[in-house]
Amino acid sequence: MATETPTLESLQASLDAQQAIFNMHQAMNVEVFYWWCTAIMVMIHAGFLAYEMGASRSKNALAAGVKNILALAVIIPTFYLFGWWIYNAFPGGLMPVEASSALPWSQSMGPDVQDMGTGIFWAAFALFGATTGSIMSGAVIERIRVSAFLILTVILGSGVWILAGAWGWHPDGWMLTEMGYHDVGASGVVHAIAGFFTLGVLINLGPRVGKFINGVPQQIRAHNLPMTLIGLMMIIFGFFGFLGGCIIFNGGDTGWTTIYNNPTNLSAFAFNTLMGFAGGVIGCYIATRDPFWTMSGGLVGIISIAAGLDLYDPGLAFIIATCVSFIAVGAAKLLEKKGIDDAVGAVAVHGVTGVVAVILVGVFAGGTPNVGGNPAISLYGQTVCAIVMAVLGFVPGYAVSYLLKKFNMLRVPENVEVLGLDEVEILAHPYPETVPAKSGTTTNVGDLEAKGA
Amino acid sequence: MGTSITSWENVSAYFTFADNPLALMLFSLGVAGIVVGLIRFIMKHEAEAFDNHK
Repeated sequence: MATETPTLESLQASLDAQQAIFNMHQAMNVEVFYWWCTAIMVMIHAGFLAYEMGASRSKNALAAGVKNILALAVIIPTFYLFGWWIYNAFPGGLMPVEASSALPWSQSMGPDVQDMGTGIFWAAFALFGATTGSIMSGAVIERIRVSAFLILTVILGSGVWILAGAWGWHPDGWMLTEMGYHDVGASGVVHAIAGFFTLGVLINLGPRVGKFINGVPQQIRAHNLPMTLIGLMMIIFGFFGFLGGCIIFNGGDTGWTTIYNNPTNLSAFAFNTLMGFAGGVIGCYIATRDPFWTMSGGLVGIISIAAGLDLYDPGLAFIIATCVSFIAVGAAKLLEKKGIDDAVGAVAVHGVTGVVAVILVGVFAGGTPNVGGNPAISLYGQTVCAIVMAVLGFVPGYAVSYLLKKFNMLRVPENVEVLGLDEVEILAHPYPETVPAKSGTTTNVGDLEAKGA
Repeated sequence: MGTSITSWENVSAYFTFADNPLALMLFSLGVAGIVVGLIRFIMKHEAEAFDNHK
């Protein structure tokens, strides 16, 4: 069989064809990576759903769940309408720059054969936004109006956090270009923002009926603590999607980078995510020996090291996570002492831990250079930006909830709270009548059926 | 009627009404309307439910 002698031109054509195939597969790999990160992030919301329903008393279990599901359903379309535009338009501060391609009537915001990035990044960021809404959701259970909660969650999940993202995560964000800000795992832009927004809301919302008697805090027991613990573990699982979504999968020969374009890889994230988780669990267990806090410690641990996830020695990450757990527990106790009823400790776990995490990057990784001519990481820059995050979260949360309170739109009436939100609003019951929902009752269904119930 | 392409040759954005910004703005208004409508609907439901349990 005769074969043609390859020419320089035919070899070049073959090489070009191979290169085109390689480029297409690499672009598809990028899509696949973020697709699965987004899918795994949905587990965060499944976890928050279980955790909130379990943390409620049985009379409010379904109301807590419905509120959480609706949060996801309103943040996704509003993030499509204006959240993605905010990220692209406000990296410089409060004056927008041209970002019309991120508006919902742009050709970029829909199926496009030539664009294998916008949709997948939009989806990941929308789920980050939904996470902020879920963080607030647990803290305000059992007394907030669903309508008020949805207004607040849209402002937080499609507005405030993504403005922080534009400042602290965008390659042109002023926090990076002027302060050398480093927060690869979103301790500040997601967790601190959500935690302090929640604090602003809680101040206006007030505590649940019976939480404080003569100023003394009472324990309101979760009706299903095991479900709460499983929910928290599901959130931890979802964090692997969340943190995966925080790394940049580049085309070409660049490989992985942080959102700030500094070199990193998933191995760095793997070391410190797991060490942070373990340290947080241990710290919170020692600090409280409480099952809820022990499991919440996993969150505290990961959030405490997420800002410097790419830079820490794993041993240091473990120690940081353990120590910050004591700060988080202390902050939760202090807030309760001050009359703040945070049903799930969201302000301490996310807000306080997030702020501390951002500052600690300045303490332990100060002097680390940034690329692209941006200033190096510094304790000063990290501290200023941490304060900005706390204020940026708190002010709108407080202001909007204050207005809602003034118009009597924030909280359910007291008699409704006493009756239970499921009975009044949901028109459904979380458990069949044969399963007594009363706390401490141990009768099982089989016993009741045997008695003819 | 809403397709924005007539051929897959050299196609980029190919979703329905991609070549009609006015239609896309109207859809965006529709999305916003549904979200606002949901919140209004819940407010009404809450008011009725709370009234029924006074």
